[in-house]
Amino acid sequence: MISRRTREAGFLLAPAAIGILGAASVASAQAGGLDVGPLPAAGAIIGVFVVMHLALRLLAPHADPYLLPLVGVLVAIGLVELSRIDPELAHDQAIWITVGAAVFVAVLVLLRDHRILQHYSYLIGLTAVGLLVVTMVFGTRINGAKLWISIGNGQTIQLGEFAKVLIVIFLAGYLRDRREVLAIPTGRMLGIPMPPLRHLAPVLVFVGAALAAVVVLNDFGTALLFVGVFLAMLFLATGRVAYPAAGLVTFLVGSVLVYLAVPRIHDRVTGWLSPFDHPQDLGFQMVQSLYALGDGGIVGPGLGRGFLVTADGQTLIPELRTDFIFSAIASELGYVGAIGVLLVFVLVAYRGFVIAAQSNDGFSKLLAGGLTAVLAFQAFLIVAGIVRLVPLTGVTLPFMSYGGSSVVTNFGVIALLLVMSHRSRLPTRAAEA
Amino acid sequence: MNRSIRRLYLSIVVGFGLLAGFLGWWQVVAAGELESRRGNPYVAEKERRIDRGAITSVDGKFLARSIPTTVGGQRVYRRVYPQGALAPHVVGYATPQLGSTGIEAAFNKYLAGSYGAEPLLRRLNLADKRGADVQLTLDTRVQRVAVDALAGRAGAVVALDPRSGGIIAMASAPTFNLNDVATDFAEVRTRPGAPLLSRPTQSRQPPGSTFKVVTATSALESGSYTATSRFVDTGRFVLNGQAITNFGGARFGAHTFETALTKSINTTFARIGQDLGPDRLGQTMTAFGFGEAPELRDLPSAMLVASGRFGADGKLLPNGEQGIDTPRVAIGQERLGATPLQMAMVASAIANGGELRRPFLVRQVRDRGGDVVREGRPETVRRVTTPDVASALSAMMRSVVREGTGTAAGLIGLDVAGKTGTAESGAAGRNQAWFIGFAPAANPVVAVAVLVEDTTGTGGGVAAPIAGTVMRAAVEVAR
Repeated sequence: MISRRTREAGFLLAPAAIGILGAASVASAQAGGLDVGPLPAAGAIIGVFVVMHLALRLLAPHADPYLLPLVGVLVAIGLVELSRIDPELAHDQAIWITVGAAVFVAVLVLLRDHRILQHYSYLIGLTAVGLLVVTMVFGTRINGAKLWISIGNGQTIQLGEFAKVLIVIFLAGYLRDRREVLAIPTGRMLGIPMPPLRHLAPVLVFVGAALAAVVVLNDFGTALLFVGVFLAMLFLATGRVAYPAAGLVTFLVGSVLVYLAVPRIHDRVTGWLSPFDHPQDLGFQMVQSLYALGDGGIVGPGLGRGFLVTADGQTLIPELRTDFIFSAIASELGYVGAIGVLLVFVLVAYRGFVIAAQSNDGFSKLLAGGLTAVLAFQAFLIVAGIVRLVPLTGVTLPFMSYGGSSVVTNFGVIALLLVMSHRSRLPTRAAEA
Repeated sequence: MNRSIRRLYLSIVVGFGLLAGFLGWWQVVAAGELESRRGNPYVAEKERRIDRGAITSVDGKFLARSIPTTVGGQRVYRRVYPQGALAPHVVGYATPQLGSTGIEAAFNKYLAGSYGAEPLLRRLNLADKRGADVQLTLDTRVQRVAVDALAGRAGAVVALDPRSGGIIAMASAPTFNLNDVATDFAEVRTRPGAPLLSRPTQSRQPPGSTFKVVTATSALESGSYTATSRFVDTGRFVLNGQAITNFGGARFGAHTFETALTKSINTTFARIGQDLGPDRLGQTMTAFGFGEAPELRDLPSAMLVASGRFGADGKLLPNGEQGIDTPRVAIGQERLGATPLQMAMVASAIANGGELRRPFLVRQVRDRGGDVVREGRPETVRRVTTPDVASALSAMMRSVVREGTGTAAGLIGLDVAGKTGTAESGAAGRNQAWFIGFAPAANPVVAVAVLVEDTTGTGGGVAAPIAGTVMRAAVEVAR
């Protein structure tokens, strides 16, 4: 039988081909003929993935063979699209991907057994809140949201991205300890079965604190993400649909209250519900994005061949490289290509949940499930905003949006999942010792 | 816990399914609706990338064409109008900001290559967007003569081939240059003289004595009159206390019907009008096309207005309405309004032995492979009158040009038939000067209508010479 790592190497050929062909397509479209200029850059990124593959061969040979190639596909399409918008962006992003790969390898090297994390779950949770507080105090406000910490040289980092992962680790540890008691409702509130408040309170306080911090930071996308992941993990831990259902209702009621209270949200909702009534201001971004989607049509003109950037280098859609990278992809690859990207995210989620299901202990299941949920929810939220299923949020599309913090964090998440996968698939438990 | 994991995964799959559904709505179902929205920048960009078909004249001159250029690595096309000021109202423009007019609008489907199976193939990216070429019946040599003859005076010339209905020239003055539309539209639209107005099809003016051709047709059709019918003119025709007099207060005494047309004797035509009555005159008007917009299907319908009688509220009245002042209608007054195109159709029907051909502008549409995808063919709207009546009227109209009010339209070595018209414009001493006619009278190859608006001159003095030069050019081209 072919080993997992050899299979992974084979599957990695797909993103390599996508990257090379995509880069060639973009370069050729701009040069009007065949242009092999970006091949060295594509080669470098392929090299980075080869390094990650080799690290897995050495450190986690039994890990899932599909996850890294799937991430490779997302990275390839994302990078090509960024290089098409502005080659500078792709260059920056490539550096961040390299940093992400370093974090990936570091996680493999340092975290031989992820279960050690559950001993520090409170510390990790406090760190998460700390990161958010630091952002609150020292953050730079961009577009009304205070999410970025300036680290000099014009570069910024988003600590919220890291906090997201830390909170999942905390929740996995906490819910692992309390899941039995939480699963048995001891009372009812408004007809909804409730677990003993004593056990639930710390969780609610924690999530509430995170939420409050996020509301102050004016980043409702991340708030939604936190709530979603919390409810998903609560469901995983207890198996009770009533909890996420009640949480969702509470959240919707809260959303209406926030809508009435915060003008910024007010504008966003208006831009969501009736963008075509405000095509020049509130709905501008949405309207331009919808035009881009419509322009892409069924098959799209191909990478580098859509109309995304005007002659003076401005993108037609504001924030195209971050919030709207999916619009750019859907516009150039059409409905077929966009569905392909969504499918890759579903497959990432599938492999993540398989890792969760195959894990041997509750903490690992919760951690793998939670991390996977974060990735899937985040992709869902931003795309749902783009197709007007929900109001637009400013979360990044994992592995595709321009932005270092997001890419580095998500590579860490994948490394964590692969470490768990490796441990759960070790041939004999003796090998653990 | 694995059961919960599976259920969470399934709910995520359902969520992404929803995304796929919504995305399909925008990218497939609503894509067309999005494209048709004003302000969609992709439409303009897409149009820039279309190798739009050319518009050419029958003599092979480019009236509109697309020139490829490379902008920012993209191959785009620039629309240029090599004869920008020659026939701007006919050719029209097509810009995403201003919309489109003329042939550019009416034949956009062909010019942009969106006909047949092309749109589906292109939606699947299987075909390049290349438009078909549209060749007009317009002849730039005749059109040039018409534009020069108008010399910027507000007015219009329509020249068509009465045998086919093909429009040879359609000039509107003052003119504008199509190449200025994209850059200076605001300035063009506020220029004096309303240059954007397509006067041949949109300027409705009292036809004056040119309408006597319609009255004469009706009279000859009735069987009560012939070219030699005799009349006596006293200089006045009184009806209900209102007197109709002749131009310049002239008195003609005893004369024939032919002389009445030749000298444009109002009193006689008023008498004939009273005799014919509203029903009969109305029927003839309807037969010539009054009462509805001309069926020039090659232009957008918004560019075509109906001729006929109009109420005080500006609404079109039925041609044969009872109780109207038929004597005044018979001499081309009484709230009559006619476009140069309508009056050219009147001349054309007489020239073609009484059969009215449907006017058309597009000779053929050819795709890039050279195949004809659409062809303009002669079509009959209806028989307006008998060949005998047409031929009698033709002889009377020859007399107008030979020895009557229309001698200025006469051409050496060529028999011309015609009728002048001078209608008061409303301002003192200003007229709407008309001439309609055809040549050669025996075997016509061109029928014209000329209108010069708001002039101190008369139909015979101002419009007839223009008609003469245009007809000569058309006859020469036809040889």
